[in-house]
Amino acid sequence: MNKVMSNKWVIAIYIFPALLLVGVLIFIPLILSAYYGLMEWDGIGDMKFVGLENYITAIQDLKFWDSALHSFLLAVFSTLSLAGYLAVSMILASKIKGADLLRKIYLIPMLLSSVAIAQLWIKVFNPANGMLNRILMAIGFENPPAWLANPDIVLYAIFIPILWQYAGFYILIYYAALKNIPETIIEAARIDGASPLQIAYRIKLPLIKGVVKVTIVLAIVGSLKYFDLIYVMTGGGPNGASEVMASYMYKLAFSTNEFGYGSAVGFLLLIITLIVTVIVRKITADKDEIQY
Amino acid sequence: MKRKAVTLLLSVVAIVLVLAGCSDSESSNANSDDGNSKTIDFMHLWPEGSSAEHNRIVNEIIEEYESENEGVNVELEVLSNEQYKDKIKVLSTSDELPDVGMTWAAGYMEPYVEGDKYASLDDVVESEELNGQFVSGTTEAFSVDGTSYGLPLELNIATVFYNKAIFEEHGLEAPETNEEFHNVVQTLEENGVTPIALGNKDRWTGSLWYMYYADRIGGSDLLTNAINRETSFEDPALVQAAEEVQTLVDMNTFNDGHNGLSDQEAKSMFMNGQTAMYLIATWDLPNYTTNEDVPQEFRYSVGYFDFPTVDGNGDKNSYVGGPGVGLFVADNSDVKEEAKDFTKFFVQKWGDKSVSEAGVIPATKVDAESLDLPQMYVDVLDDLNNANNLTLFADVQMSSDTAEVHLNQIQALFGGEVTPEEFAKAHEKALSEEE
Amino acid sequence: MNRIGYIILYIFLGIVGVFQIFPLIWLFLFSLKSNSEIFAGSPFTLPKEWLWENYATVWEGGIGLYFWNSVWITVVAIILTALFASMATFAITRMQWKLNKLVLGLFMVGLMIPIHSAIIPLFSMFLNVNLIDNPWSIVITYTAYNLPITMMILLGFYYTLPREIEEAAIIDGCSVHRMFFRIILPMTAPVLSTIIIINMIYNWNEFVFVNTFISSDEYKTLTVGIQNFIGQYMTDWGAIGATLIISLLPILAAFIFFSNKVVEGISSSAVKG
Repeated sequence: MNKVMSNKWVIAIYIFPALLLVGVLIFIPLILSAYYGLMEWDGIGDMKFVGLENYITAIQDLKFWDSALHSFLLAVFSTLSLAGYLAVSMILASKIKGADLLRKIYLIPMLLSSVAIAQLWIKVFNPANGMLNRILMAIGFENPPAWLANPDIVLYAIFIPILWQYAGFYILIYYAALKNIPETIIEAARIDGASPLQIAYRIKLPLIKGVVKVTIVLAIVGSLKYFDLIYVMTGGGPNGASEVMASYMYKLAFSTNEFGYGSAVGFLLLIITLIVTVIVRKITADKDEIQY
Repeated sequence: MKRKAVTLLLSVVAIVLVLAGCSDSESSNANSDDGNSKTIDFMHLWPEGSSAEHNRIVNEIIEEYESENEGVNVELEVLSNEQYKDKIKVLSTSDELPDVGMTWAAGYMEPYVEGDKYASLDDVVESEELNGQFVSGTTEAFSVDGTSYGLPLELNIATVFYNKAIFEEHGLEAPETNEEFHNVVQTLEENGVTPIALGNKDRWTGSLWYMYYADRIGGSDLLTNAINRETSFEDPALVQAAEEVQTLVDMNTFNDGHNGLSDQEAKSMFMNGQTAMYLIATWDLPNYTTNEDVPQEFRYSVGYFDFPTVDGNGDKNSYVGGPGVGLFVADNSDVKEEAKDFTKFFVQKWGDKSVSEAGVIPATKVDAESLDLPQMYVDVLDDLNNANNLTLFADVQMSSDTAEVHLNQIQALFGGEVTPEEFAKAHEKALSEEE
Repeated sequence: MNRIGYIILYIFLGIVGVFQIFPLIWLFLFSLKSNSEIFAGSPFTLPKEWLWENYATVWEGGIGLYFWNSVWITVVAIILTALFASMATFAITRMQWKLNKLVLGLFMVGLMIPIHSAIIPLFSMFLNVNLIDNPWSIVITYTAYNLPITMMILLGFYYTLPREIEEAAIIDGCSVHRMFFRIILPMTAPVLSTIIIINMIYNWNEFVFVNTFISSDEYKTLTVGIQNFIGQYMTDWGAIGATLIISLLPILAAFIFFSNKVVEGISSSAVKG
């Protein structure tokens, strides 16, 4: 057994294609972008080596930390919302009527491109004609807020479409994980008299713990580098109130001709994500992966 | 069992080979410049779907050029505005700009000029065919240190468009002074009509308001001088202009949540008769004249007026505006002469065609008499002829990082997050850091 | 659980369902309206005039070629991603070697790179090897950038596969390759369907890479078709809506197909397990 499963050649063959692609197409650009971060470069003329200056500037840049805070909030929200997705998935995976149809319906938003989702929610949030404010006014709110224009609430407003957009993605993963649990285990628990809640919490949850941990990492990493909807819906505004790390990086590199500095910010984004991920992995670490 | 491993390896090798094979054939195509035929790569930002007329005119000009110049091919790539900007940026990092492309003026093009990416077009501007053809001020916006690097294609000025039907209904007339303007706003507001549509998510839209107040209060050179560092941005007139903007905001002049709305959304409020006024540049003229998709009734009811004077100050013939896009030729192009020749040809053909067929006000002189144009075009062209000054859009004048500060400050100003003094101070700081 | 509990549950599920399905209806109505109606009216009013010509406009824009490019690029990238990711995950989780945690870590770092940091270095790399304006640059980029997330999703499932299966297979004299292709891959069919859906959506809707690496019309994909309607000063939103609907239909069909597979796969693997 051990001999077969530790054959170096086989391992190399299995790892090689993926490692090659990721190494060449992700790691080389990554190293290059860290290198550009050492340059003063507008992306047009000549480069000038400035050492760690860009990184030092970034660390002292209040706008960068503002955007980091916004990204971090987004990560916290996204992680918390996983609990909701998981609960819905559990309901869908249990044998209730219509679960199959409901699951498909729940996944629809994730099929749409971000362009479409952003346009939809811009219309929902429109202060005068928008659906949300019309409903609020109909039920008696006199002055519903201008969701995307108010710097105090814009970030929270944007979180709603993000929550909505990703519902399908996580429900899909959880659903597949839950369906992967052998029926016999659940049947046995049921015969022992466990209630559905008990089965969910005591049996299903521990069995899909590995998947849950992975989704936590995905949610955090995805949020910290999140860009699409925010950029289309607010452009990071008003006055930076919804700027996140990735949109800040994009603006620096592509709009304001500070390509060197933008690359440094992009690399810091990666470092921050890495640190947060390592911490989260440590917190959720488990000595032995669950097996059955 | 070994067979599986072999198949697997083979398939990986096959993929690599396919890639290599494809790239080989690509590289042999790419150099089709040798021999007799030359290829000019041309990138523009008028996709067929959204700018059908622009797109068609470009294709016509290219066709005409190719038929007149045996052996020259023009290869097109068309992108939408935002994608175009991003792609140019990527291409410039690898020194791969197209032979001919579109550029914006002043602040946008400066780094490209300093980085030696654009070829000098002095010889084209001063050529027999084009000399004296451009409206004055337009080529200057595409010049750095007296050398032209771009050929302007359009010229726009910002004016206040208003809905005559709404004005009539409330017994209002186009205001001449800021006082009258305030009265108009107040009357409309009291009668439950949102006076002005503004989509300040795009930020340059709010900048127009500030710029006009700066122009009227401080004179037509003040803002430009402050940007050029000849005076301070903390000049009392520039602070007062910011105060005027906030006065308007406090009067509920603009639609709710303007800082979160795009210009497109604001425009549609105006075009659906939900607001009485809308400040925009003349690229919007087709919507109020010839665009068949807009109800005729609405088009007939739109008029425009020049920005009012403030406390007797200001010249109504001074405008905020500027040339939109222009053509550049890449300095490292291997068909530079052909490319220059093509741009010359393009500009000559573009002028009349663009105004009569696409409703563009071109940067070259137009004989309004000889063309059958809607009245509003004739008026605007007239205004342009009588213009005493044209102040280039502030975010175009400034370098891109100062422009970013300006635009963010505009949002903060409209959102009441900064005082006029803080607004001026932030600009002064950004501008002085740049020196 | 009692009856009232179920009713409350269904009401809750129903509300969530409405919340999730309304974009489809909205998008459909949107695709039949004119610009002014899209911006002024409520999103759910029926169009005053049903502008089916929005669809004609889109179709005349030469969307057919884009469509085909989208299909083959998406499919090839999915196959490569699913195969390579499964192989690598298998080696990392099931085989015994020292560096597996490190290699896994490398793949995870690949998850974290912001795409706008990568795009300029990637462009210059492709330029050097002459892969600019070549659809294969898109295929391998999609594969590479989807590998980390695909592997993460597979990971949780591979960890839970019972060891006994491998042991039994090896005792029977089965090679690793046979075990992987004949036993492990079929067993992971449900999660494979899941990652196919996810990859499909990512590849189908992606446009930053296509816009950057492709310049010839003949290689562009559907998402670029949308760009056609975004103008310098004017944007034809109705046509964009129609493009979105047209591009949504095939992916919706494929989604429903693979979505059923998520369930089917399980029952078959449960028999084997």
